[in-house]
Amino acid sequence: MNFDIVILVVEDDPVLKNLLGHTFASEYHMLYASNGTEALSILESNHPTLILLDLMMPDMDGFTFLEKVRGRTDTLKEVPIIVVSNLGQQKDIDRAKALGANEYMVKAEVSVDEIIAKIKEVLSRDASK
Amino acid sequence: MSLRSLFIAAFGILLVVESTTVWLYQKFVPTTSSAYAQILMALVFFFVVLVVPATIFFFVMRVIVTPIRQLTKAMDAFATNGSRTPLLIPRSTPKEIRALTVTFINLLERVEGAHKHSMENARVKSDFISTAAHQLRTPLTGIRWALEALEQDVNLSEEQKMLVKNAVEKSHAMVSTVGTLLDISSIESGKYRYTFEIVNIDDLLQKTEQDFRHLAQERSVTLEYKPPTKRIPSVRADRTRIQWILNNIIENAIRYTPSGGSVLVFTEMLGENMVLVRVRDTGIGIASGDRASIFERFYRANNAISKENAGNGLGLYIARTIATDHGGDLNFATNENGVGTTFTLSLPAAG
Repeated sequence: MNFDIVILVVEDDPVLKNLLGHTFASEYHMLYASNGTEALSILESNHPTLILLDLMMPDMDGFTFLEKVRGRTDTLKEVPIIVVSNLGQQKDIDRAKALGANEYMVKAEVSVDEIIAKIKEVLSRDASK
Repeated sequence: MSLRSLFIAAFGILLVVESTTVWLYQKFVPTTSSAYAQILMALVFFFVVLVVPATIFFFVMRVIVTPIRQLTKAMDAFATNGSRTPLLIPRSTPKEIRALTVTFINLLERVEGAHKHSMENARVKSDFISTAAHQLRTPLTGIRWALEALEQDVNLSEEQKMLVKNAVEKSHAMVSTVGTLLDISSIESGKYRYTFEIVNIDDLLQKTEQDFRHLAQERSVTLEYKPPTKRIPSVRADRTRIQWILNNIIENAIRYTPSGGSVLVFTEMLGENMVLVRVRDTGIGIASGDRASIFERFYRANNAISKENAGNGLGLYIARTIATDHGGDLNFATNENGVGTTFTLSLPAAG
């Protein structure tokens, strides 16, 4: 149980939020946002260790949010971001990676276990830095 | 002016000039004593007889032949690659040729319009399929995840476990179909890009045989790749897509062959230029009613195309589309001895 680790889930679909929340609630401190704008305001007063980011959201989409985070001047600029989206085309993957996403997973192609494994992988990678 | 009046005028002029000249010659030449004058007259005569028709001929050529040549070139350019050449209709163009050119331009407009309309229709249809598929994908993924989480619940009775397992399989199939729809719409909209390279089919098949050895053993089916006795030429293809087709055909051959059966993979040439890859199984065969549903498994592996690709013959449709896009084809037929099926992927040899 390491509540120093804060995971921000930026996702408008409740299913993934519930599943991740259920899995990690006892391990990490979870924060949720339904779109880019909400996520940005959460960043005002929180410093997540990892961000899980959907791309297709109302109001501010994932790409815009990604740009804004990587455009910051504080330490949040480098926060690891895992994109979890249903956009599966190569051009979307390339665009997200170019904007600074560390990992990209296509929802339709992965199971929740794989997402969880990836989160753990990125966290341990980050911790060992 | 019209061609008719042009020809009548030309004929008339010619007639008048020729007869006048002959008359003049007859009138003046014999009565003139000086040889000088006679030679002069002869020269004038020949000049008129040759030059006037030549001038008329030249004029007519320019007025008729040049516009016709220009029109033919424009038609050829459009027929070959749809390009439009500007057509000039100078005032001197005869009526009939002007009419021909204008009609041609109108025809061109109609053809281009019809083509644009048809492309637009195809694009709209493809966008619709793509949008519908995306809309389906999200809730379907949610259902799949929820079911997968339920599957891991230890408090289910045996019956409940069965029900959840069934539901999980069905949801996989749905996600699969949606992925296939997306692939189809991206193929049809031309957004599907191939990366062509020179591919050695022998190498590809050796690797595929290795990849599926385990599955074949699991199902007690003999999988064998027989390398060709004569060297088979390389093909120009998108390696990943062709690998995907081969994976699908071979996996299905294995899955649809009962234990104790065999799957044989071999290559041969059709003529000088077509490379054939044959996958022959001793399986249950494909009843004519089921031909559409052969690519039914949820194929989960490192697939460059969407990992799921199956259901309702759509996978076969994609595979065949890829094959024909490469200039080849994908077919299957029941074996002559009545046992099992042979799939044949044909690809044109490179170079």
